[in-house]
Amino acid sequence: MKCFDPSGPPGPEGVFPERLPRVRVWDAPTRLFHWTLAAAFAGEWLTRDARYIDLHEFLGYAIALLVAFRLFWGVAGTRWARFASFRPTVAGAARHLASLARRTPEHHAGHNPAGSWAIHALLVLAALQVATGLVTLGAEERLGPLSGRFSYALGDSAHAVHEALAWAMLGVVALHVAGVIAGSILERQNLVASMLTGLKRASAASAVEAKRGVAFALAAVLGMAALAYFRGDAFDARAQPRAVPLLVQDAEWASQCGDCHMAYHPSLLPARSWAALLARGADHFGEDLSLDDATRVRLAMFAARNAAEAHASPAAWKIATTTPPANAPERITDTPYWKQRHARVAEIGAVHASDCGACHRDADGGSFSPRAIRVARAVPGKGS
Amino acid sequence: MTASRALARLVLGATLAATGALAAAVDDLLQQFHAQGGHDFTVAAGEKLWQQDFKDAKSGESRRCALCHTNDLRATGKHAVTGKAIKPMAPSVNPERLADAAKVEKWLERNCKWTLGRSCTPQEKGDVLTMIRSR
Repeated sequence: MKCFDPSGPPGPEGVFPERLPRVRVWDAPTRLFHWTLAAAFAGEWLTRDARYIDLHEFLGYAIALLVAFRLFWGVAGTRWARFASFRPTVAGAARHLASLARRTPEHHAGHNPAGSWAIHALLVLAALQVATGLVTLGAEERLGPLSGRFSYALGDSAHAVHEALAWAMLGVVALHVAGVIAGSILERQNLVASMLTGLKRASAASAVEAKRGVAFALAAVLGMAALAYFRGDAFDARAQPRAVPLLVQDAEWASQCGDCHMAYHPSLLPARSWAALLARGADHFGEDLSLDDATRVRLAMFAARNAAEAHASPAAWKIATTTPPANAPERITDTPYWKQRHARVAEIGAVHASDCGACHRDADGGSFSPRAIRVARAVPGKGS
Repeated sequence: MTASRALARLVLGATLAATGALAAAVDDLLQQFHAQGGHDFTVAAGEKLWQQDFKDAKSGESRRCALCHTNDLRATGKHAVTGKAIKPMAPSVNPERLADAAKVEKWLERNCKWTLGRSCTPQEKGDVLTMIRSR
């Protein structure tokens, strides 16, 4: 098959790809891995809003499974799936990019040396995203397998890193796609189709087995993981007993505040806000609370003990740390954290701003876990 | 069979106790309003006050009991500001409504201030309470 052509392109195959037969270079598990990872990565972008936390978290576990599988397959897989066949070297990448610039690309049966960098970078970034995602979930929201193991502050930092890495990963994906398009045009073969069918122009000796059984096994594991994760209601079955913090409640608070509006949990405002609000009971947003002194003192004590500064929930920590010390907002909707979290919530206009329960199913308990958000319930003018 | 009979007895007992408490709480309050100068409380006078319009001095808006509690005391109301649902006023559909004397007094005080712009007189309180109890 190998015919020497001095004007032909350099590279291991050493011939114009048009003269080579189509042979299978990508086995089935590698192709399944590639497209499920691509879909999961797109899904992670689409589900980055807190209301989709359940789906976002599941896709993270799926990516963890995929990366673990790819590491295994990089050692145990067929020839072009093995890491040994595409070592990322600076010299190799430079040589390949130079050949692209000359419009006479090196032809490689498997991954080219520039693509190798993209693959390694994406695998490392995906693993880091799983790690920072789990730390964010466990520390910032008190959810997931690392629930409550780290401080809220660490969760905040992990969240910032998670977001930065997501952009970095998107950048690498863009470079990868650009490389695939450039390669396809210059080599005059559809490399995207190759990743779907497994077939690419290469010497017959480069052909590999399909290994469909392994692909079926990988698909089965992913399917079972989805079944295990989505069985039942995520909020009721998993979050409620384990991860959503159960906050201190008080019957008198619930009835005195809850007769006119939702009994907002004291963890949703700083202690100084509650003190100011209860001291001005005769003009409570235009109404006279008519509280006797003993009742007011009992309510004030419950509020002071359980105010945002007690950090009883992730929301409480956020409100306590982001409200300027000089401010004592008396409406939860006046806190910087509330405003920031609802700035891009289009549905907020459809419900009464005091009706937290329209979207937050755990509003009465005060925990405000993202897992309890069900925006679909928002109905205009519906009381809690 | 024994279990269901015990349950029936429990439900019956609780209902009697609740009715008794309700009657006692309202009777005590009416007696109190009478001692404070009210007399001859009637459903008709309570009904008239319930429907009467009052102008809020500060906002200029028109306010009345029915604004939040609706004209039908057996229906669920809605808080004028927060939009929160208010359980029916009528004890016939909401037995816990007049069961707690302290609660009744607190709400008569608060809601008179909001609606009428002042505390109600013992006569007005007695009439409204008599009317609510009849529903």
